Amino acid sequence: MSSPARSWLGAVRTASGGMLRHKVQAVAIGLVLLVSTASATLGLALLAASNTPFTHAFSAQNGSDVTVTVNSARAGPAALAATRGLGGVTAAAGPFAESTVQAQFGGQPFGQLTLAGRASPSGPVDDVVLNAGHWPDGPGQVVLDGTPGGGPALGGRLAVTGVPGAPALVVVGFGNSVTNTADGWVTPGEIGRLQAPGVPPSAQMLYRFTHAASYAEVRADVAEVTGALPPQAVTGAASWLAAENASAGNGAIMEPFVVAFALIGLAMAVLIVGNVVSGAVVAGYQRIGVLKSVGLTPAQVVLAYLSRVGWPALAGCLIGVVAGNVLAIPVLQNSAGAYGVGSQQVPLWASVAAPLGMLILVGLAGFGPALRAGRLSAAEAIAAGRAPRAGHGYAAHRLAARLRLPRPVGLGLAAPYARPARTAVTLAAIAFGATAVIFAFGLNSSLSRAAASQTHSATAPVRVGQFGPGNGPGQTPSAAQDAAVPAALSDVPGTLHSVALYGNQVKVPGIAGNVDAQAFGGDASWIGYGIIAGRWYDAPGEVDVNTAFLSQSGLAVGDTVTVDTGTGPPAQVTVRIVGEVFHPDNQPVLFGSTQTLPGLAGAANLREYYVSLRPGVSTAGYVQAVNGALGPRSPWQAISQHDGGQFYSIASDLVGLLALMVAVAAGLGVLNTVLMTTRDRVHDLGVFKSLGMRPGQVLTMVVAWVAGPAVLAAAIAAPAAVALNTATVRAMAGTAHTGIPAAFTQVFPPSRLAVLSLAAVAIAVAGALLPATWAARSRPAVALHAE
Amino acid sequence: MQDGDVIRLDGVTKTYQAGAPPALADLSLDVAAGEVVAVMGPSGSGKSTLLNLIAGLDRPTAGTVTVAGRRLDNLGESGLARFRARHVGIIFQFFNLLDDLTVEDNVLLPAQLAGASRRTARARAGELLERMGIEEHRDDYPARLSGGQRQRVAIARALVNSPELLLADEPTGALDTATGLAIGRLLQQLNEAGQTMVLVTHDPALAERYAARTVRIVDGQLAGAGVPA
Repeated sequence: MSSPARSWLGAVRTASGGMLRHKVQAVAIGLVLLVSTASATLGLALLAASNTPFTHAFSAQNGSDVTVTVNSARAGPAALAATRGLGGVTAAAGPFAESTVQAQFGGQPFGQLTLAGRASPSGPVDDVVLNAGHWPDGPGQVVLDGTPGGGPALGGRLAVTGVPGAPALVVVGFGNSVTNTADGWVTPGEIGRLQAPGVPPSAQMLYRFTHAASYAEVRADVAEVTGALPPQAVTGAASWLAAENASAGNGAIMEPFVVAFALIGLAMAVLIVGNVVSGAVVAGYQRIGVLKSVGLTPAQVVLAYLSRVGWPALAGCLIGVVAGNVLAIPVLQNSAGAYGVGSQQVPLWASVAAPLGMLILVGLAGFGPALRAGRLSAAEAIAAGRAPRAGHGYAAHRLAARLRLPRPVGLGLAAPYARPARTAVTLAAIAFGATAVIFAFGLNSSLSRAAASQTHSATAPVRVGQFGPGNGPGQTPSAAQDAAVPAALSDVPGTLHSVALYGNQVKVPGIAGNVDAQAFGGDASWIGYGIIAGRWYDAPGEVDVNTAFLSQSGLAVGDTVTVDTGTGPPAQVTVRIVGEVFHPDNQPVLFGSTQTLPGLAGAANLREYYVSLRPGVSTAGYVQAVNGALGPRSPWQAISQHDGGQFYSIASDLVGLLALMVAVAAGLGVLNTVLMTTRDRVHDLGVFKSLGMRPGQVLTMVVAWVAGPAVLAAAIAAPAAVALNTATVRAMAGTAHTGIPAAFTQVFPPSRLAVLSLAAVAIAVAGALLPATWAARSRPAVALHAE
Repeated sequence: MQDGDVIRLDGVTKTYQAGAPPALADLSLDVAAGEVVAVMGPSGSGKSTLLNLIAGLDRPTAGTVTVAGRRLDNLGESGLARFRARHVGIIFQFFNLLDDLTVEDNVLLPAQLAGASRRTARARAGELLERMGIEEHRDDYPARLSGGQRQRVAIARALVNSPELLLADEPTGALDTATGLAIGRLLQQLNEAGQTMVLVTHDPALAERYAARTVRIVDGQLAGAGVPA
């Protein structure tokens, strides 16, 4: 090896020697970088995942541009196969026989399922991603669309009703089709067994086309297929655009808080890394002065210093990116379920950009101090950075000495003023950490309120809906079956309130397309819709609407509008909008009473009953009693309404995870600062001990070093978190096309905010405790001679 | 140990690293109440180690250390800290004053750590500052004081809890001759008032002038003891 190379390596070795003598600081650098890199990787992955998840998944899974359902009695396999050669078709899969069935799980209605018979999850179009279990390989097996949770688990049995023999299907897996081509998949041979008598056989063909970017192009593609098949063979067609629309809501909604946490994490990383690196460099000036005195060149000094922080930083970044990927697996798996887009992975660019960005940050943070160290003369370097500049913090000590506080507390409270810049960074780190924690609690409360308001699970824990064929014409419920529901609700003990909900599409001038009108057959104020503006209707002629209604119509609360119900008489009614309610939906929705919206209260429009229970009544027992009263043949079934949904559950988990990571990083930042301060003041600690300061008093004093910054940080974090929560919830609501009731952001009563603000103190104390313990345990004789 | 002894070391050995020669080897020493003992010896002989053990700043590897009637070798860190606060005052060569505290706050500190009442501590500090002739500097910071004034502050601080024993590690080592003499006289006055003292010094003149007895340590062992002429 050449001599210059040896000398440079020598510089690095020298630095490494220094690093090994400061193991704790090296570990702190590594840990901060680990947490920051993991957080950044996760944040970038989530941003990427929430940004264009559908596009990525659609491409990865060869999503179906158009899913055409055909009457296979009219179009045979040969005719369908011929459509593969149509001009615009680039790929096709099928025909897959399909059947739409009614299912029950655990004796409760499980809804309507469209099942497709496929021998394999993969193919040229619509690769179904298996999330759990295996693909059906025999009769009586089904893979359900989605992820486990909330319904049947692997091994669960579904009973198919309405077909001879009521066959059972065992859930052997969970999969995901990016374009929602089916609700479940069975073996091709199974479909025959699941066919209801008298219902024509059907099959699905999945196509990818050269041009399918717009509704017009998709319509043209469907027309091409329809034209190539016998008349009336095509019974339905689903576009990938509809699936994209459906997935966009949940995905976009998460962006605001993921961005908020990513920004907090990034700011934290900049502060902590800068503080760690600068502190390490400054703390090592004396050593570098000695090394310069024995011949190290300025450039070697710079290299030595950068490598001193570089090795632990590199290790932290590498472990951090792995940790970020590992953490992202369950989160992305869940979010993929929420987005309904199949599988998602951490993009390669995120795994490269996060550690690289952090290393650049370390380099930038370290370069300045290292350059300064390189430029200092040996004598200056030895003298520099050993102690705080004289004069700093003296007044604070003087004041603290006059306060009636235990002396160690007073000494601790005054200490941060000796290093104002370091204290400011510590304060900022604690403030960011506390902001994240308070924000997380607030966001969780806001989301819980939104979930409760959206599902009404707290106020109306039981719904009675139609889940099976009735005895009336076209398998609709008969009048007797309809009448049995209010009778059952009246007879079964435990009913507090019940109200029938009727629904139909209506027309409102100024709104293109239909408006979903929901009319209640009685008092529905107890359901507790979240009121964004105005009030809940309480008289005939009054209605409430959702945000989409107002934004699409240009109307406001207080305006009157004519509603064309298409039935009647009269068909047209003029109503006054008295309130805007929380009902996230792209489609305009209008709520009123059946008196206000005549004609809606027909049997054909009866959707469901909302039921509230008397205090102490068991929901499960009540549901069982109502279903018993309705009888097994009734199309109406009572079900319990569970709180939240997958989106809220994922959002809650994510918020918690991100807040925890930021809080841990903040704690590490505090640990590092206290450690540096302990090193700076090791001689003073020896003096204190020689004067009789007990270990407990040392611990108290060192913890008190961060108490002042923690209190200030709490005072900053509390309003910052409130503002951040309000802005984030509003942004989330904006992406969901809804306003929000004020109650959703008013989640911080003063007492709660005061308690949550203690997060700043908790982070500070947790970070300071370890170095404080080391300081308390150090032997005074050693400390006195350690400088 | 005789009834009047303030210090008794019995077979004390202190080893810092396994396999290395002990800093102190099987050393025994008694100091009577009111006595001033000078400890002398070359650099690295074990003088500071001896002082640390007597002050309860460190523990012996073997042997017993009894000071002011308390066995120090089996006390925990908290017990040693309480002992230092109440029974021992220490004066260092380089003063070891806390730069960010005023003179008065430096002197008050041991009393505050020991839990003395605010009024009592301030009264005692005021009395000592006056006795040391530095009462006009009570609100000054140590950096503004001369070496001699700093050492007076350090002595006042060491005495604030009225300890039975005053330990001085090269108390004049960082001072010019005239100031050193003045400090020496101050220590002599303290002894005349009954203060027991152990002086660690390189300075034979200081030992000769102020100590009733000198012990010499070489390579961690007592090389001899005598009464200065």
